[in-house]
Amino acid sequence: MKIKVILAAAAAFLVIIIGVGWGSVYIPPADIFSVIGNKLFGTALPEHIKSSTAAILWSSRLCRVLLAFAAGAALSASGTVMQSVMRNPLASSFTLGVSSGSSLGASIVIFYGASLPVASGASLPVMGFVFGLGSIFLALAVAGSLDGQISNNTVILVGMVLSLFINAVTTLMSAISRENTQELLYWQLGSFQSRGWTPVYILVPVAVIGVLFITHYNRELDIMTFGENQAMSMGVNLKVIKRVLLVAAAALTGASISFCGIVGFVDLVAPHIVRKIFGASHRYVVPMSAIFGGAFMVICDLAARTLPPVGELPVGAVTAIIGAPFFAFIYFGGKKKHADA
Amino acid sequence: MLTLRHVSTGYGGLDVVKDISLHVENNENLMIIGPNASGKTTLLKAVAGLLPFKGEIEIDGAAIRGMKRRDIARKIAMLGQISGMYFSYSVHDTVMMGRYLHINDRLLGLPSEADRAFVEKCLEAVDILDVRDREITKLSGGQLQRVFLARTLAQDPEIILLDEPTNHLDIKYQFELAEYLKEWSKQGSRAVVGVLHDINLAARLGDRFMIMKEGEALAIGKTEEVLTDALLEQAYDMDIAGYMRSTLGMWEKR
Repeated sequence: MKIKVILAAAAAFLVIIIGVGWGSVYIPPADIFSVIGNKLFGTALPEHIKSSTAAILWSSRLCRVLLAFAAGAALSASGTVMQSVMRNPLASSFTLGVSSGSSLGASIVIFYGASLPVASGASLPVMGFVFGLGSIFLALAVAGSLDGQISNNTVILVGMVLSLFINAVTTLMSAISRENTQELLYWQLGSFQSRGWTPVYILVPVAVIGVLFITHYNRELDIMTFGENQAMSMGVNLKVIKRVLLVAAAALTGASISFCGIVGFVDLVAPHIVRKIFGASHRYVVPMSAIFGGAFMVICDLAARTLPPVGELPVGAVTAIIGAPFFAFIYFGGKKKHADA
Repeated sequence: MLTLRHVSTGYGGLDVVKDISLHVENNENLMIIGPNASGKTTLLKAVAGLLPFKGEIEIDGAAIRGMKRRDIARKIAMLGQISGMYFSYSVHDTVMMGRYLHINDRLLGLPSEADRAFVEKCLEAVDILDVRDREITKLSGGQLQRVFLARTLAQDPEIILLDEPTNHLDIKYQFELAEYLKEWSKQGSRAVVGVLHDINLAARLGDRFMIMKEGEALAIGKTEEVLTDALLEQAYDMDIAGYMRSTLGMWEKR
């Protein structure tokens, strides 16, 4: 297992290097390290590296790749929690209305120009995060009032109904406003373009702390996959731990969406692949899903910005193009296997 | 060891179990039988602290109402039917989950040497040491139920609640499970309370019986006092004893 972990970490590091080096201007790995050394520690920059290359690397590529990695890691760790807590291999924060909530928050900013009293430039991510997290709190509150045990079926049903309702409100706002719908659509499709370093300074620590926090609950996650009654009879304080984990997962998703828009499928894909490689134990599944999801997102973003001859593809579309067939393979492939048995 | 006084419980405000009182002594096995929807499993869930209830439930003199989930789980473990599994844990990892309350490493939850030794003992006790590294999704029903029994034992409880754990198991495994639990319950401060559909199997394991019908206790007492023709017919609306005798007659003719 240790070798697998080391290989996966090395592969993820390689993906980051490729992501930073590849693009309209190719930057070799040695030059990447030289520029990073120069920026962080003031080491001398070799003469052959142009200042424009260093600027592209530092101000555009590196922050973009790190942001993509952090977003992929946060979304994948979140997806792992949702699948295990809900005992549903297809569950995600999106099922419970986090993305719908974030979209509503973004719509209020985009359509009505709502802004924060301080740091108005951060209005979009902050509103996206607050509304995304708010939707999960609302879903849990409604589920709790209907069913004191907040059973999985209740949470999923309430989440889906809430999600549909919020989507309808966003659509209504979009229809009434008519202006800026292009901006909302672009935000919803997701992108890591021109974000700069500020989101990296926020999302990277959030992703690291979130993944460590969830990993701390690895045993509870393992036990909860065997069912709610079983978990409680083994001593898991389900009511509290389920809420804590769902909110943590929603916070990770909300933080990612708020900076990068709605990027789906990575949270669904990463945990399934990781379980096949590292087994089911959450001690490995949570951190390795984060690493895999981060690397997957960097690859998708690389494809999004390098495949079209001009401009960029929305990264949300790229992850979906890769993720959708995988989703179908896991879901319908599994059903076919059962049918054949 | 386990005392229920006027316990009523159910779902959504509706009492499925009504006014049950009973006492289970140390080293005693109480079997609960009755037709479907008579409230057997619901009663077990209340005893395990999984459902709210009216009345009193005490373990070793301490009321479980208001007790922390961890404290209840240190005393009572539940072994149910094989349910759906979504992820492929190894046999060893699954049994180790039973040590959840005993592992002291709060940061990463890594088991101590004592926990590992305890799990090895449980794997050995139910004879699954040879499949310890196999994925549980690749086991037969019988092997899987042994894994869950080992996990229940790893919890190191005083009372094991059985909720029809032998469903889908062949006769050999049913027999072995009953024999193992019979031996387990006679050591130290232990007891078994079991819901089993198979009256013959329940009779092998149980010291005392309770028959339930429509949420109420129809009879409670020693096996020979409760498993009578009249009480069984009253519970199941069928001549159970006659059915069993006719089956036995088929065997005796061979």
